Amino acid sequence: MELENIEIEGSHKNFFTPTVKFDAQTGICELSGESFLEDTAEFYKPLVDWLVEFTTKIKRPIAFIIKLTYFNTSTSRCILDLLNVLKDYEDDGGEVTVNWHYDENDSDMQEDIEDYMIDTGLNINIIPF
Amino acid sequence: MAKKKENYDFSLFEYHNLMNQNILVSYKGPIDERIMTVIGENILLVTEEGSGKTKNKIFKVFMELAQNVWLYSAESCKLENGKSLGMGTLVVGEYGDYYTFVTGNVVHNTDIVPVIEKCETINSLDRDSLREYRREQRRLANEGKPNSGNIGLIQVALTAESPLDIELTPVNDDESFFSIAVKISKDNYKNS
Repeated sequence: MELENIEIEGSHKNFFTPTVKFDAQTGICELSGESFLEDTAEFYKPLVDWLVEFTTKIKRPIAFIIKLTYFNTSTSRCILDLLNVLKDYEDDGGEVTVNWHYDENDSDMQEDIEDYMIDTGLNINIIPF
Repeated sequence: MAKKKENYDFSLFEYHNLMNQNILVSYKGPIDERIMTVIGENILLVTEEGSGKTKNKIFKVFMELAQNVWLYSAESCKLENGKSLGMGTLVVGEYGDYYTFVTGNVVHNTDIVPVIEKCETINSLDRDSLREYRREQRRLANEGKPNSGNIGLIQVALTAESPLDIELTPVNDDESFFSIAVKISKDNYKNS
C-alpha cells in the first residue's frame, strides 16, 4: 500500500500557507508556520484525506506535531477535523502521539489547545517554546 | 485665504482632525487579504511593546475583525475576476494603557439581528463559558450546520479579553452601519 508523502512549503505573502510534512514511512506528520488561506477547506481536505488513508490502511504509529504560531478561525475548524481523525484511529487501537508546540507568551493558544483536548478527547502534549 | 475646492467635496482637514492623535491607523475602502496583511503587520510595527503576547493578541483581533468586514459588508466592489470585496472602515487607536480596534461596515437590516444577538450572548458570558461556546460553535461548524460558522467574534472577545462594544446606526430603511469596538489592555502582556 503506497501513500505519497505530503510536502508543502509554507509562505507568508498576502495569505499565509503553513508548512506541511506528512511522512507515510515514518508516520511523522508536521503542521507548522501560519495558516490564513484563501480557501481553507480546500487546503485542508487533502490533509484530512491523507490521515484517513494512513490510519485506515497503513495503520502504523503516528506522531502528529503542530507548531502553528498563527491560525485564523476558519483554520481552527480544519484542525478539529484532523484531530478527530486521529481520535478515531486511537479508538480503533492505533498508536497516536500529538505534540503541540506553542509560544510560551501565547496563553490564548494554550487555552485553545486545552479546549481541543476537551473537544476531541485526545491527549495532547502541550509543549511551550 | 481658503481656496475653493474644485476636485473634491469634503474637508480632509476635518477628517484628519477627527482622526486625532490617538488614532494610529485608519482605513476606509475595499478589504481583501492584501489590505488585511499589510495593515495587520503595520499595526504590529506601531504598537509593539516588547513582549510577544502583544503581537499575538493585536494581530489575531485585527485579522478576525477585518475579515468580518471583508466577508459580511453589504457594500462591496466588484472585481474584474467576478469576485467582490467588502467595503468598510478599520480604525486602531491607542489610549494610555490600552489599544482600541474599531471596525464598521454597512449591513442589511434583515441580516444583522442574529449578529447582534450573538454579540449580546458573547458579552453575557464569562471566560470559561465563552470557551465552551467556542468549542460548541466549532463542533457545529464542523458538522456543516448552517449559520453556525461565525466563531470569529467569540475568538475576538476571548483574545481581546474585552466585551464587544457594538453600535448600529440606521443609514436608510433597509441598511444600517454596524460597528464593533474592542479594547486590548496593555497590562495583558506587560505582566507576562
